[in-house]
Amino acid sequence: MNSATPHPPPVPLPSRERVAAGRGRVWGLVAIALLFLILFFYWPVARLLAEGLTHNGKFSLDFIVQILTDAYFQHVIGFTFYQALWSTLASIALGLPLAYILTHYDFPGKRWLRAFTIVPFVLPSITVALGFALLVGRRGYLNQLLMGLLGLNEPPLALMYSLEGIILAHAFYNAPIIVRTVHAAWEKLDPRYEESARVLGAGRLAVFKDITLPMIFPSLLSGAALVFIFCFLSFPIVLTIGGGRFSTIEVEIYTRVITLLDPQLLNYKLGAALALLGLVISLGMTYLYLRLQGSLTYSTELLRPRPTEPLFAKESLWRPSRWLIGGYLFLCALIFLGPMLAVLFDSFWEETATGGGWTLRWYSYIFAPDYDALLGDAPLRAVLNSLWVGLTAALLALVLGLIFAYGIARARWRGRRALDTLLMAPLATSSVILAFAFLRAFSTPPLMLVGSTLVVVLVHAMIVFPFVVRVLVPLMEGFDQRLSEAARTLGASAFRALREIELPLLAPGVLAGVVFAFALSLGEMSATLMLAPPGFATMPISVYRLVSQQTWGAPSAMSVLMIFSSFLAFWLLERAGERTLKGF
Amino acid sequence: MLRRATLWVLLIGWVLALSGSFSFAQAGEGSKLVVYVYQSFVDYGPAKFVKTEFEKRFSGVEVEFVATGPSRAMLARLVTEFQAGRTPADLFLGEINDVPKAKKFGLFVPLSAADVPNLRDVPQELLFDPEKTLIPYEHGYITLVYDSEKLKPEELPKTFADLLKPQYQKKLIVQDARTSSVGYAFLLWTVYNYGSLGYLDYWRQLLPNILTIQPGWSAAYRLFRQGEAPMVVSFSTDAYFNARYKPLLLNGQGYRTIYGAGIVRTTDNPRLSREFLNFLLSPEVQEKLPDTEVMFPANSKARVPEKFAQLAVVPPNPVMLPLEMVAEQGDRWLEEWAKLIVTGR
Repeated sequence: MNSATPHPPPVPLPSRERVAAGRGRVWGLVAIALLFLILFFYWPVARLLAEGLTHNGKFSLDFIVQILTDAYFQHVIGFTFYQALWSTLASIALGLPLAYILTHYDFPGKRWLRAFTIVPFVLPSITVALGFALLVGRRGYLNQLLMGLLGLNEPPLALMYSLEGIILAHAFYNAPIIVRTVHAAWEKLDPRYEESARVLGAGRLAVFKDITLPMIFPSLLSGAALVFIFCFLSFPIVLTIGGGRFSTIEVEIYTRVITLLDPQLLNYKLGAALALLGLVISLGMTYLYLRLQGSLTYSTELLRPRPTEPLFAKESLWRPSRWLIGGYLFLCALIFLGPMLAVLFDSFWEETATGGGWTLRWYSYIFAPDYDALLGDAPLRAVLNSLWVGLTAALLALVLGLIFAYGIARARWRGRRALDTLLMAPLATSSVILAFAFLRAFSTPPLMLVGSTLVVVLVHAMIVFPFVVRVLVPLMEGFDQRLSEAARTLGASAFRALREIELPLLAPGVLAGVVFAFALSLGEMSATLMLAPPGFATMPISVYRLVSQQTWGAPSAMSVLMIFSSFLAFWLLERAGERTLKGF
Repeated sequence: MLRRATLWVLLIGWVLALSGSFSFAQAGEGSKLVVYVYQSFVDYGPAKFVKTEFEKRFSGVEVEFVATGPSRAMLARLVTEFQAGRTPADLFLGEINDVPKAKKFGLFVPLSAADVPNLRDVPQELLFDPEKTLIPYEHGYITLVYDSEKLKPEELPKTFADLLKPQYQKKLIVQDARTSSVGYAFLLWTVYNYGSLGYLDYWRQLLPNILTIQPGWSAAYRLFRQGEAPMVVSFSTDAYFNARYKPLLLNGQGYRTIYGAGIVRTTDNPRLSREFLNFLLSPEVQEKLPDTEVMFPANSKARVPEKFAQLAVVPPNPVMLPLEMVAEQGDRWLEEWAKLIVTGR
């Protein structure tokens, strides 16, 4: 190397200036990314919060006080907490036994069940709402089955348009998170602690209560906190399954924006004040969650893997407990797969006066290029829109995410803390509040973005990039610095080391980030619904518009396509990831 | 290498989706008329007929209906876009009780028979708006409609008070007054009967008998036809659509409802928009209304099918709150109502 130099120095260390210049360039990128973040996140959100905190141009707490003292808003805020709490408890009740079974037993289909816990991150929530309505709606499959079996005239399950329905749908959607976090911790728990206690004479229950539970509790708490946040901010499920009679903070803000409950300055003020309160709450909860996740996990060195036993072996087949567990697993499969199977079935089924039959009509509808006034777009264009918006937003989020993750992973601790904190707000801000902020900030000059498709891409990128950062940071931190340092000592610039050493090694993580971002964007409904310009629809919006009109079939076909696309993306990722890992 | 293949798949997918999506964005050359309208005008109504026939008459013109929500949701959308100074809408079709709101924002152009000649054939009693910002094209009466295979004549409620009886628990489907013009009219009807002070109390007692509050008439009626509940808020003319679904005139009343069309002030196509309104009021389109919208046409020269004249019920006692009252207190009634249905108190 470096043959042009007549007298190469014995140790080719890059000069101090060159190192500083390279680092400067990277920090320059961080500065540009920060500017972007400020323009498309901090400025609109700050502007919205300022609206809630001013009256006639002066600082005032009037609107905050008005919301906190008004019986109606108290009800809305209280209900948001109430439903989130019950939904979290229901998710734990459904998920914890499953985590136990996954940790202790082997059974056919276990690998599938475990893989299934990725579902809440992949499945768009509007498709969950749709599947749930198809399954347990008044004329849903379950009610029809029960009516047929029991000979009833009225549907026995009244879950649609009820609090129980909202909680159940949330539990279905979020129990896998509990399973995921608890199972991961439980599996790493050294069985010798429990075994010693047993040897010393403790009963099974005492062992669970005094040893196992305290040790898996932090992960349970952290999973529960995440579920609580998700349920607190849940929008499509509350809107669709709750119907007009239920309002959470999110639904209230949305309703205030899309209806004519006098669209005066005053109402935006109340909406803004409500958004401020919502943001403070979710920011606090996200902070707690991140703290929990970081500080409370036990790390025990596992000397041997936890023993598992087959669930159905010859000698244990007669035990009633095994049948109980088997029954529970069957119930889980039904609850988790039911809504998705219902969507799949409905997408191929057409109700007619004489009963019904198989059809491909709905699929030919979603690929039709003809404009549909009820969607405000052609179905095929909605499909294509979702794909290109998703990919563009994912790439944008990836660039932002890489820069920030690099900044966080490389910065000295003070800079890291600052960056980390700055990025927490986008993570905690709900899409409804962000879209509301965009609506208020970008509807007037100088940045008249509302009404263009660009605003949809931007809001998607802002919603998904914090997740990309969270995927990338641990990877970058785990990265062996000495590899790029070696490159630097051989004369590569910081930029070149990043490009040629770090990025290729981080590629699987980068790809995972893109796919994750794409899947999230593909399912994003709330912000899109509020910001989509006239004549522009995406898949989730189309599903919502069709479902809210009580039409079936077509939204199911579109949901199947949506689920298929995001599973395809994850599958490609898995394939690619395996190969590259083998290549090392 | 599969990793590279994945990247290629993503890239190619992106390019295809982007080009595909934009390729038919600029499909129509020449002028385009964008009409904001409620959903049922498209899924049951004459939208297709109006579009094809109008485009036949004015070559190079494209009519695009946008019906992404119920009537009042479309109005709210129009107001928001109008205030931001950019709405693609040239025309709006909506209900009479939204006129005060539309006026407050100056959404529509005032019109006269000189602009829209067919207006001369619209009887005076339908011209509720002296400035004629929304021109009536059809009318009817809001009533309850019941499924005659589910409820026997002796089981029917006869008055608003009857409807509160526990025997009708979860038997009624209504529309959300915030997003639906039918729902709003039904809310005004209860105000008409129970007054500004009593209507909330009536609704409080009615809540247990409501199965669900749907965003718009289309969704509510679809649920009703699927047999979810035996009663729905709809129109007195519905029996013409299907004789099984009969009007149920509470207190012998029906609430007057008139649908009108207006030209958005910011339109680039004022001449074409007026032609569209004139076409909408022409006997050719008007005679389609009974069969599609199941409403009375506004043009007195339009002939209606004989069967429609027989089956479409005119309530003996049509009622309506004065628009000035709606303008003054409508928002407050609506807000109180919205709070009641969410809190139940």
